Amino acid sequence: MDLATLRRDAAALLSDGRARLVIGFRERAGSCVPAFVTDAAGAETLVYDDTCTANLAAYLRKPEIRHRRPVALVARPEVMRSLVLLKAEHQLEADDVVILAVGGDTYHGVLTIEETERLLNETYADLAPDEAVLAEIGRIEAMSPDERARFWSEQFAKCTRCYACRAACPMCYCERCIVEKNVPQWISTAAAGHGNYAWNVIRAFHLAGRCVECGACEAACPQGIPLMLLNTLVAREARDQFDAHPGYDAEAEPVVGSWNKDDDEEFIR
Amino acid sequence: MKILDASKLSNLAETLAGAGYRVVVPVEDGDRVRYAEWTPDATIRTDAFPVNSVKEFLLPRSEVIDRYQLDGDDFTPVEVSPAAPRTVLLAVRPCDAAALAMLDTIFNWDYEDDLYNARRAATTVIPIVCTQADAQCFCTSVGGAPDASAGADALLRPADGGARLILEPLTDKGSALVEAAGAALADGEAAPDAPADVPVRFEPEKVRAWLADNFESDLWDILSYACLGCGACAYACPTCHCFDMQDEATRTESVRLRNWDSCGFALFTKHAGGHNPRPDQAARWRNRVMHKFSYIPERFDLLGCTGCGRCARLCPAGMAMLEACTRIQEEARKAPAHES
Amino acid sequence: MTHTPTTPDAATGEAEATEAWTPRIVAFVCNWCTYAGADLAGTSRLQYAPNVRIIKLPCTGRIHPLFILKAFEQGADGVLVSGCHPGDCHYTAGNYHARRRWALFRRLLEFTGIDAKRLFFSWVSAAEGQKFADLINAVTAEVRQAGPFDPTNPARKRPWT
Repeated sequence: MDLATLRRDAAALLSDGRARLVIGFRERAGSCVPAFVTDAAGAETLVYDDTCTANLAAYLRKPEIRHRRPVALVARPEVMRSLVLLKAEHQLEADDVVILAVGGDTYHGVLTIEETERLLNETYADLAPDEAVLAEIGRIEAMSPDERARFWSEQFAKCTRCYACRAACPMCYCERCIVEKNVPQWISTAAAGHGNYAWNVIRAFHLAGRCVECGACEAACPQGIPLMLLNTLVAREARDQFDAHPGYDAEAEPVVGSWNKDDDEEFIR
Repeated sequence: MKILDASKLSNLAETLAGAGYRVVVPVEDGDRVRYAEWTPDATIRTDAFPVNSVKEFLLPRSEVIDRYQLDGDDFTPVEVSPAAPRTVLLAVRPCDAAALAMLDTIFNWDYEDDLYNARRAATTVIPIVCTQADAQCFCTSVGGAPDASAGADALLRPADGGARLILEPLTDKGSALVEAAGAALADGEAAPDAPADVPVRFEPEKVRAWLADNFESDLWDILSYACLGCGACAYACPTCHCFDMQDEATRTESVRLRNWDSCGFALFTKHAGGHNPRPDQAARWRNRVMHKFSYIPERFDLLGCTGCGRCARLCPAGMAMLEACTRIQEEARKAPAHES
Repeated sequence: MTHTPTTPDAATGEAEATEAWTPRIVAFVCNWCTYAGADLAGTSRLQYAPNVRIIKLPCTGRIHPLFILKAFEQGADGVLVSGCHPGDCHYTAGNYHARRRWALFRRLLEFTGIDAKRLFFSWVSAAEGQKFADLINAVTAEVRQAGPFDPTNPARKRPWT
């Protein structure tokens, strides 16, 4: 990875005012953590490797970050998709962000949102979900309903309702989340039983057609709950049934918010 | 002295379980280690830092504090007296044991919490001296140490190059446990291993002094940029104790629950009238640091942090109390001498 | 209010497993089509199983998947969701939105341990009184076959003891 150029570009963006904040990664105790650079000299601390699992687009949710726009973000393909999708959902304007695009071992340079969309469609159009995740989904689908219930019972019992999954996700930008609605209290806030089930299942559903499968939620979960099983399954269904490819088209309609008169209804009596 | 083979720790757990203790030990769980109730198929791991703290065994994540039986329009209060089984927290880290002083204080400060106290009274705490530490450990900066016995009823010391453990009773509960352990412990001699080297990284008094004068500092923005406002740190923290109360019901029963809460959540201080005195993450992070290093010391003469480093290890955004404090100390050094 | 044949347990609210168990089914239906269809079944004196509790909504488009979860959570053994045929929605497209949501949500529920045999979707118009009666009978028979919803299922398990 051409870190030297990435750092030089980041520094230049700050020096000439094309960005007022660069969000990337720095090294701390052997792994990558998010870095917030406001002056050109700080760009030297930027690093990138495969421990950089956070989806930095999540930071655009914070007003104090938005106040520093234009914001430059170091973005791998899934993060680029998040940015394009945020634009499609009218959560950011083209001028708000500058992208320092990375993919695998390649640093692609400084891009606008439009250029990012082009790069995604030309070079990263077929991001396949993790083989191990797909295999595990297959294993669970082959179980009986009772076995599945037992599996998920065990997994959801670990959930402490810390909402790190929500915090790490760029698409969870609601100022008042469904769990925070208490008139009525739709989802029990107790960290057990049906409260944990409803939280995890509804979050997965609210991401239907919107999840770019970046894995930041699972990486964030302090309890190691296999959240990508849920999100990958829903993403697969949204893709297979409704051709959902979130984050590749900044003008796309939201998949669950739109409809086609010929949508499948075999399952409806 | 009372000793046992380090490989026989699960025998000790089994014996204590047989003697009627609920035994909580650090166990292997996939790729991580967590404190959990011992079961015969559990693998005890004392070489890795557990991801959770022991507070969930004294202050459950969610517990019933009031209960009513419902019958149409009638309701009958039902007494709440949850089980407080005799428990041993075995082979916990010294920083986790030291944190109990904070919980004991807060749950007996303006109100004696009989739910907490019942469980606390039934709990015997046995830390194991740390012979390793990682970059996030900072117990020595906050008045602790890898071989500290604060909060301990007995102390386990690795000895003879890790091959053996010495069990040293310190209180009556500790002695009672040694007796209950019976043949799981032998009488003998062993040479204690050196505790881990945990360099001091900052001085809490310097941090406290800076905090007193810098409520409005721009540093809070910088320190909190990365924070995404989840509850991972507060829930993992051995001294954090904030809770939320929720009323829930079925057709036949209504309960009031006490659930863990986190000051990092955006709605933590939102008032019924709509105002939120901590409207951004900078204000919330500032509160967190000040609680641990300013308000709690001021009120209780205790530090609100025991340097376990869990918050740093599992924060998805790379926040860390250690880093905040070292940054603050750096900032304090830059400032001109305070004229008072 | 009809007397339910099962006796909820005072402490847990769960139906006791006796031979008297009979399915408890919640039906979320739209006001303009299925509810009217149910009404027609009644005025036509059609006999159908009494196990369904109907919850009337203006449109199937109003149904958030949480409603379905809530029904299972609070004691339903089966859930039916029914509305206007495509093209007939009183609000033009509410049922089209609903259809997409259902298509995705049912897969998620199935994946996480709620048996697909307990969740039903249908289009029943205001003129389809007979269809409604037949549907309720079929749904009730299928849920009876599936048995009581397991109280330890993660979607039902009470968060406190």
